[in-house]
Amino acid sequence: MIEAEGITKSFGRVEAVRDVSFTQPAGSAVALWGSNGAGKTTLIRCLLGVMRCRGSARIGGVDVRSRGRQARALVGYVPQELAFHDDVRLGSAILFFGGLRRVDGARVSASLASVGLAGHERKRVRDLSGGMKQRLALAIALLADPPLIVLDEPTSNLDAAGRGEVVQTLRMLKDAGKTLLFASHRPDEVITLADRVLVLERGAVERDTTAAELWPTEKPVQVIRLHLSMASEAHAARVLREAGHAVHLNGQGLCVAVPRDQKAAPIHTLACSQIQVRDIEMLDDVDIPEGTP
Amino acid sequence: MSRCAYVSVCAVVLGCFPVGASRAGDPAKPMGEVEGLIAAADPGGTVVVPPGVYEGNLRITQPVILDGQGHAVLDGVGVGTVVEIRAPGVTVRGFTVRGTGENITVEPAAIRAIAGPVVIEDNTIEDALFGIDLRESPGSMVRNNLVHGKDLDPGRRGDGIRLWWSHGCVIEDNTVYGSRDLVFWYSENLRISRNRVSDSRYGLHFMYSHDTVLSGNDLARNSVGVYLMYSNRITLDGNTMRNNRGASGYGIGLKDCDDIVVANNALLANRVGVYLDNSPSSVGSTGLFESNTVVFNEIGLLATPITHDNVFTANILVENEEPAAAHGRGELTHNTFARDGVGNFWSDYAGFDRDGDGIGDLAYEPRSLFGAMLAREPNLRLFVHSPAQQAVEFTARALPELRPQATLVDPAPLVRPPNLKGSGAATTPLRTRAMAFGGLGLLLFAGATVGVFGRQAALGPAPRGDDR
Amino acid sequence: MTTINALAGERALPQARSFSGGTLAFARREFRDAVASRWFLLYTLAFTVLAVAVSFMSLSSVGTHGFAGFGRTTAGLLNLVMLIVPLMALTAGAGCIAGERERGTLLYLLAQPVSRTQVLLGKYVGLAAALVCSLCVGFGVSACVLAWRTGSVGFGAYAMLVCFTALLAMAMLSIGVLISVLSRRSSVATGVALFVWLTLVFLSDLGLMAGTLIFQLRVQEVFGLAILNPLQAFKMGVIVNMNASLDVLGPVGAYASQAFGDGLAFMLAATMLVWALVPLLAAVVLFARRGSA
Repeated sequence: MIEAEGITKSFGRVEAVRDVSFTQPAGSAVALWGSNGAGKTTLIRCLLGVMRCRGSARIGGVDVRSRGRQARALVGYVPQELAFHDDVRLGSAILFFGGLRRVDGARVSASLASVGLAGHERKRVRDLSGGMKQRLALAIALLADPPLIVLDEPTSNLDAAGRGEVVQTLRMLKDAGKTLLFASHRPDEVITLADRVLVLERGAVERDTTAAELWPTEKPVQVIRLHLSMASEAHAARVLREAGHAVHLNGQGLCVAVPRDQKAAPIHTLACSQIQVRDIEMLDDVDIPEGTP
Repeated sequence: MSRCAYVSVCAVVLGCFPVGASRAGDPAKPMGEVEGLIAAADPGGTVVVPPGVYEGNLRITQPVILDGQGHAVLDGVGVGTVVEIRAPGVTVRGFTVRGTGENITVEPAAIRAIAGPVVIEDNTIEDALFGIDLRESPGSMVRNNLVHGKDLDPGRRGDGIRLWWSHGCVIEDNTVYGSRDLVFWYSENLRISRNRVSDSRYGLHFMYSHDTVLSGNDLARNSVGVYLMYSNRITLDGNTMRNNRGASGYGIGLKDCDDIVVANNALLANRVGVYLDNSPSSVGSTGLFESNTVVFNEIGLLATPITHDNVFTANILVENEEPAAAHGRGELTHNTFARDGVGNFWSDYAGFDRDGDGIGDLAYEPRSLFGAMLAREPNLRLFVHSPAQQAVEFTARALPELRPQATLVDPAPLVRPPNLKGSGAATTPLRTRAMAFGGLGLLLFAGATVGVFGRQAALGPAPRGDDR
Repeated sequence: MTTINALAGERALPQARSFSGGTLAFARREFRDAVASRWFLLYTLAFTVLAVAVSFMSLSSVGTHGFAGFGRTTAGLLNLVMLIVPLMALTAGAGCIAGERERGTLLYLLAQPVSRTQVLLGKYVGLAAALVCSLCVGFGVSACVLAWRTGSVGFGAYAMLVCFTALLAMAMLSIGVLISVLSRRSSVATGVALFVWLTLVFLSDLGLMAGTLIFQLRVQEVFGLAILNPLQAFKMGVIVNMNASLDVLGPVGAYASQAFGDGLAFMLAATMLVWALVPLLAAVVLFARRGSA
């Protein structure tokens, strides 16, 4: 569904994306994992043809640069947060996007209903909660029933309940055979949805792996997020890895996968190295789907 | 191809020459027939010329009343003067006279009189280098003729009506267009009324001709409306000069003229309303401008720098791009702009009238920096009607040291225009209706665009409340 | 949520809408937004009030006598148009891309199956329609007032004034859009637009006046330089249509009338058309260079 070859994008001297190549078959779900500034968002924009870059990208066999319109017609895009004119009413906003995709009113209504927004047409975009906005973005992305859905950290502004809803919806889309490409900060989402994880670091694909490999789990594991001072994060990660923990640094604290019965172990390890932990967060139960490698 | 061209050339040639003959359906008759009729008549008797086209040149050497009754055509066939009156007491009435020569050095005319008095009335003159030419023909009457010059460059045309040393003549109700001038040389005590001159060079032109009254004439689209030169004691009353916009483009131009009275005239949309070139020129003489309406001219009143001793009172100067200006760096302050406490109405007067007597409490003193710049560099006129011009004037108002001297002082400006006596066509109701429909149309168009373009497709019925 | 499965069934791949269809969708949205916005209402109101005031003022002095001619009435209206319309169009154009970029809505729009050219052209058409609407309201009310008070301007000439003004608005809008594409922030775009307005309305004319005085430019030079300014072209065009000759503009105008004759009106209209098309074309090219088609 996606064929990317040598995608490179620089802003001035900084190379935000460096020579990224990958192929994503239809029906699969790929997660982009990486710290803030690793180039996830830029890569997505390049793939959608919103930004001009070197290299080539094809969506469903359609070249993004030369036939961007046709290529993007195959994509439903969900941003981190829906950005649209604040005082537009929800109904007219979605109708506008429907108009761009040759979608009729009945289909628009159905799409709204499918994300539980039926009856909110007269609300203005500025009055929507974060969750509703993301559901609206999803509804817009799904309007034309595209085969590929691209999401850029779709849950990062949502609370637990909102996240759950979005993840569940994505799960259903995946089951229905859609191709998913998403950037995420959250291991639980990655583990739940992704068949494959591309780990980005400083713009380049560092590892092409799976969630199971990233977070090996013979035993049931709990992913915890440790909040430390920024300065000590790198040091702490090294210490924890030396102690045999699976660690990931992704800009919002340190994610550590630990056996369920040893949740305090990383804190202890850090305490021994005089690294202070400010806060701990239990990430939602990670449900590793059966049959996923 | 060449045969085709030959045929069309023939057609043109045929079409050009014997126009009248073929149109009338009868063969043209020789002019000798008319001469025969005159010779057979008693001196001073009436000769009615039967309808028809008479070709050739006619000399009238005895008093006679020659009447074409509107159906006789005298055609010079492009040679010389068509009718020449060599005796006093001749009347030429009701003819179409056409086809003079074109050699301007011999000044061929449609009707020329070299003796007076004569009466020339109700004639139609076309295709004539000079129209009516009175040479030393005093006491004559030229009335209700229609004169159309030859279609030549203005520089090669002759005069529509010319008087030369012909005192005491009456020139009235004539219509002249596409000619050079209506010109009066060395002719005094004339009465020139209700003539219409358009699309010519000088509407009415005076050279060394004194003591005359011009009234009710309409001079439109000429290079200059009325141009008086070296002529004294002339009264212009109730004339209209409009759209005279030639190179000089004066409504009224006065050069070295003493004791001129200009009253109740309308000067509309000329390049310059009134132009004063050293008038009055003699010591002790004056010029009087009273109750004229000067509207829509680029310059209302323009004068050479030394112009003095003119009196302006009760004139209405409205919406002239520059109300008054002097050539170069001159000023008009040696003229008087109020008489007996009555000044003029200036539409750009910004003062006030606290006591309500109709006279502004502040003097009218135009000081336009842009006007001063224009006087230095005429090319700058390109920038009139633009915000940049306003900016220049604003700057001058804000920085008084930049303000030029006032070009004139009207100590008693009128705050309301006095009643007009000048002419001015009323707006037709048709135009008003077109305007109203147009305005409504524009509004409708705007509404329709909003309706069609801005239509918002509704998605489902509007919910009654927010409970869903 | 259950409907998603149904929605995600087997169907033909979604297609992008036709070029004109997508452009029109943007145009309509832009038009709706503009018409509903505060600046639009304010400008329309100001323009209408001033136009009516100018008509009234001029009529109160000579209206009752019904003299026709090119006086300060038309000049006043002309001055008003030359001040307000460029300001209106330039600022509207300057806001259209830079504003979306700043709000972050631009990227979301571009991720839809539309091309950058469509976005830009759509916005241009929508704004142009809104501006023409605004002008029609102002001129329409003013024409009604003129009619009611027995106007001295023929409707044909008035209609030409409206047409030329619309052309002026489009030229200025086109420059504004170019500024918008080149500016990163909408405040910068507005600032530049104001400067351009000042330049076109005042500075260039004042400069040319000074040049004419200092260098004693010949008429053809003055005319050639003046016509470069779309505002001067507009002014001359209106005067030509009312007067059939430019001789009210002194020797330079007389030269223009003589040299170009009946072609002058077309030449001036063509000049303005060039001003409407070239900056727009430049904006389209520059904007499209930043991403795919």
